Amino acid sequence: MTECDVLVIDDEPVVREGVRRVLEASGLRVATADDATSGLRHPALAVCRLVLCDVMLPDRSGIDVLNELARARPGLPVVLITGYATPDLAERAQEAGAAAFLAKPFEASELMECVRRALEVRAPQEERAWRS
Amino acid sequence: MHTRIGVQIVAAVGLVTALGIALLATVTLRTHRREMIAQLTRSADLLSETVKRSTEDYMLENRREYIRRQIETIGRQERIERVRVFNKQGRIVFSSDPTEVGQALDKRAESCFACHAQDRPLEQPPVQDRARIFTNGSGHRVLGIVNPIQNQPACASAVCHAHAPDERVLGVLDVTMSLADVDQQIAASRNRIIALAGGCIAVAGLLLWALSRRLVSRPVEALAAGTRRVAAGDLTTTIPAGARNELGELARAFNAMTARLAEDQRQLTQADKLASVGRLAAGVAHEINNPLTGVLTYASFLLDRAQENAELHADLEVIVRETKRCREIVRGLLDFARQTPPRRQPTDLNTVARRAVAVVMNQLQLAHVGLTLDLTTDLPPVQADPNQMQQVLVNLLLNAADAIGERGGTIRVASRQAQLAARGHEPIRRAACPKGCDLLDPGTRVGGLYAIRILREYRGREWGYCLDPVYGRFNHVAPEPWEEGVIAPAACPRCRTTLVEPEGTCERCQAPTLAVLGPNDEPIQWCTRTGCHFTRWAAREQRGPAPVVEISVEDNGRGIAREHLPKLFEPFFTTKGVRGTGLGLAITWGIVEGHGGTIEVDSEPDAGTRFTIRLPLEDAEPVRSAA
Repeated sequence: MTECDVLVIDDEPVVREGVRRVLEASGLRVATADDATSGLRHPALAVCRLVLCDVMLPDRSGIDVLNELARARPGLPVVLITGYATPDLAERAQEAGAAAFLAKPFEASELMECVRRALEVRAPQEERAWRS
Repeated sequence: MHTRIGVQIVAAVGLVTALGIALLATVTLRTHRREMIAQLTRSADLLSETVKRSTEDYMLENRREYIRRQIETIGRQERIERVRVFNKQGRIVFSSDPTEVGQALDKRAESCFACHAQDRPLEQPPVQDRARIFTNGSGHRVLGIVNPIQNQPACASAVCHAHAPDERVLGVLDVTMSLADVDQQIAASRNRIIALAGGCIAVAGLLLWALSRRLVSRPVEALAAGTRRVAAGDLTTTIPAGARNELGELARAFNAMTARLAEDQRQLTQADKLASVGRLAAGVAHEINNPLTGVLTYASFLLDRAQENAELHADLEVIVRETKRCREIVRGLLDFARQTPPRRQPTDLNTVARRAVAVVMNQLQLAHVGLTLDLTTDLPPVQADPNQMQQVLVNLLLNAADAIGERGGTIRVASRQAQLAARGHEPIRRAACPKGCDLLDPGTRVGGLYAIRILREYRGREWGYCLDPVYGRFNHVAPEPWEEGVIAPAACPRCRTTLVEPEGTCERCQAPTLAVLGPNDEPIQWCTRTGCHFTRWAAREQRGPAPVVEISVEDNGRGIAREHLPKLFEPFFTTKGVRGTGLGLAITWGIVEGHGGTIEVDSEPDAGTRFTIRLPLEDAEPVRSAA
């Protein structure tokens, strides 16, 4: 499990597997978790370069995961995905330092575009985290 | 057991009437009978006295044969049953019936009883004591009267010396008269009275029945029928309330109650509809977006890899396109469900318009729609949320493109600053009755604004009626076309307080005016006469025209049918069939309203449509920089 680029946390199997298929086709290595607790304990978290996390998880919210990760792995880009994107949620996600916000449902190309950008901005994000 | 109230009233009153009439008849009959008997008694007494006097001389002279003949002659007269004379021992001395002469009567016989009831006989009892009524042998009733024959000095001194001088009563003259005639008369008048009383009771009963039917049964039946209809859910029920009595009052109260119920139900339904749209949207977003993500992700992923197979690629494109349509519908629902207050900032609407045009440009070019931008260069900035305003303009542009359809056409987007006169444009955003009930009706919109719902009396009935909420415009909504020139008073639909002003008169037609309390409790007047275009909002007129920024989207497409115009901004109203969600204009309206602005639609079927949005300029801050 040390070989991983993206960790996907979503309670919906079809979303997890769909994202895995699209990302793996682009050569990214993907690990998945179905709730916040197992995601935050996932061994892939130590090595991955990006986390895709659903906002509405059965045990905790994606914002919580985002905050946990900011402590555990500062600078790791996190993309929040949600089926219920309110401006309020978008604002909270931005304040918590989400790399991007992806509204369900999305096309494969939209997903790839979002992931690519998140991976690109990794460097400046890490820099900022380090400075603060 | 169910008995009709009319029948009960008729029965009760009829019984009392019958008893009264029966009592009256009985008393009348009794009096009548007593009087007849008294009269007959007097005439019998007179007769008896006459017989006594006429035979007195014969008695004194002891001419018995004359006496006997005279008594027989008198006794033969009609109605006279019998005339006889008893001596002191009770023996019959003379009689009109010669066969009983010589018989003796006991002192207890009916003819003796009057005087001999007590031990010591009376000598000259009053006439009513001497009279008696009894039934004779042949079954007729007869009246008998006895007349004592007093001793006189002549009796003792006469030659015959029949009687001793110390005797006071010598014998008794007994005359009996037939009561057959009298009884017949009494029976006849009794029958007459009974017939009359019966007739009276029948007529009174009939009259009562008719009255109770008219005054009680019918209104009560109407009330019962109305209540049943309301119970069955028909809140449009009204019952005639013509009667000026308690039942009429009840009917009016009933009508007021149903009107109030209907009003509340309508508002509840509307609020409920919106709330359920919100819940539905959130639920749909949650439940549908996940499976939709699966479909869209896999389908679009497959599409990318199926470039070489044209047929497969085309099919997959359909799946992706339609899934994206689902996505738009869900987003529309979400946008509608959470209309957020605008985040206002000084905004140049020209920039917003250009951005909106850029968003839809591709689609417009594909549909062969020409676009003209007619934007005023020195447009002052307004306080607005640029994102929301862009959403509004994109929405209007897409609607315009849809209206043009495939035959091609032009859309014109124009902006300008204007001085907006209150009359014809100013929306009335608050309307209350004198007691403070809110009259704005979220369920009825006129040009997107909540209409002012009042109750109007027209042709003897009360109707829900909506005043155009734009000051100086008269697109009122009547339940059906009303004839012009009729004075239709108005009241509050909630508390029924009259809205007619006690001293207001229309400047045009002198009819009474009605008024509601507008913003800051400023009265706004209308004429109560149907079709009269008089209205005045004096306080608003004083403030003069208001500066606004106006932006309009105009197309030369198919236009909007007149009957669709009032419903245009209602959620889920769509003319696009399966291609529309019916939420676009509802959201648009919500955004413009949230900005304190107005949206106006002018449309001509088959000629085109123009939507005009006006945002107020008064609270705009000065632009921070010229750049």
